[in-house]
Amino acid sequence: MIGAVHAEEAMDTDLVVRAQRGDKEAYADLAFGIADRFLAVARRILRDMDLAEDAIQQALLSIWQDLPQLRDPARFEAWSYRILLRACYAEGRKQRRWAPNLRLLPADEPTRGDGMSSVVDRDQLEGGFRRLSFDHRAVVVLHHYLDLPIDRVAEVLGIPVGTAHSRLHYAMRGLRAALDADARPTTQEAAR
Amino acid sequence: MSTDRDTTRIVRSWLRTDEHESADRVLGTVLDRLDTTPQRRATWWPARRTPTMNRFLTIGLGAAAVVVLLFLGSRLLGSPSGLGGPGAEPTPTPQASVAEPSVPPSVEPSPTPVGLLPEGSHVLSDAGVAMTVDIPGPDWYGEPFKGILIKNDNADAPDGAGMIVFTEGLYYVYADPCRWSTTTPDAPATTVDEVVSALSAQASRDASAPVDVTVDGYEGKSITLHVPDDAVFSECDQDFFGSWGVESESTPARYSQDPGQIDELWILDVDGVLVVIDTAYYEGTPAEDVAEMRAIVDSITFEAP
Repeated sequence: MIGAVHAEEAMDTDLVVRAQRGDKEAYADLAFGIADRFLAVARRILRDMDLAEDAIQQALLSIWQDLPQLRDPARFEAWSYRILLRACYAEGRKQRRWAPNLRLLPADEPTRGDGMSSVVDRDQLEGGFRRLSFDHRAVVVLHHYLDLPIDRVAEVLGIPVGTAHSRLHYAMRGLRAALDADARPTTQEAAR
Repeated sequence: MSTDRDTTRIVRSWLRTDEHESADRVLGTVLDRLDTTPQRRATWWPARRTPTMNRFLTIGLGAAAVVVLLFLGSRLLGSPSGLGGPGAEPTPTPQASVAEPSVPPSVEPSPTPVGLLPEGSHVLSDAGVAMTVDIPGPDWYGEPFKGILIKNDNADAPDGAGMIVFTEGLYYVYADPCRWSTTTPDAPATTVDEVVSALSAQASRDASAPVDVTVDGYEGKSITLHVPDDAVFSECDQDFFGSWGVESESTPARYSQDPGQIDELWILDVDGVLVVIDTAYYEGTPAEDVAEMRAIVDSITFEAP
């Protein structure tokens, strides 16, 4: 479904142009179309709803302020995501530590057949994800949540495609290690 | 032990949980704040918000209409070579109904004042002064009613070219374009000589000696400024390398696109309105593009306020 959203965004160029000229109604329409998705992305990167809301508020205001400087309205999507990620980064830096915001499932939740096999997986992933740098989190969320191809991820982040590949590889390796850590027996268990 | 495929599947599933976030509350806050959050004007696509805009814009648009009608009239009613027929007779007040059937596209203001501009005459206007210019070649883009023209829709280094017209009246020329926020003069420059003097003294601009010029009979001065090749805009105040500010705006009205930018300025007094025409380019800009910008300046016909 996220891919379908991109198609809708591609048709919003007229809204972008009108908003660039100071049309607040056009910008309201534009913001309405992206705000929920922005919140979802920010929430997944920052792992904290309050921080995510602050980030998208700052991002949406920055986008409004800087829209006249966007040279190519067709590139609004990548440009706006870049502003969102900057805002996320700024919010993240305000916190000396990432605020814990684990949302563990109830213990009796049935196992799902989609690979999300256990509460422990979520716990391990949460911990593993929090250990990733912001740059690595962003690549994972853009690629695996938004379904952006890696070259689009690179465009959004303003980095070479090879660097995006490298960050994704490193991040996924870290998350895999987090999952595997749970599967490995502890020292005490191994000694029994 | 997880395989890469397992990890990917688990991570994707994990990321897609809790997808019930709603940004409505934040969105409401943002929209409430738009009225008090002005947009930052871009050098090439500025949103002009000077207090005098409405008055000047009204005058400018009215003047623009007169200019277009007069121009259409002159085109439709005959040339000095006299091809004969009724249209060859000069008529002081051309009839719009006569002009409609054969209006040459190149002399109409663009109905959508953004985008590709055909060769020919266009009404170009900033807030204060309307003027006509001749676009001498292909691939000129811009917003004529904002006084902006860009060759190939590219005003960036290393080979872009673009021009912008300011008719603000009051120019706060910064002493240091990189430290503009702390070097804004207390009083604005309000005359040609004051603007030229302030720009000549601006730090790091390697300004040329001012030269007397005349555009459409209006006298003024021309000066060329440079942006150092090694300028680092990100180290400047709010990332702007600013030339000047205007009343009512807290950030530079004119700021540079890239290091290495060359600005040829024409500063004119058009019946009491201070007009600054800024043509910008780079070492790598084709000479033809620079020549076309100069030709556009030479073609300017002011409709004085």
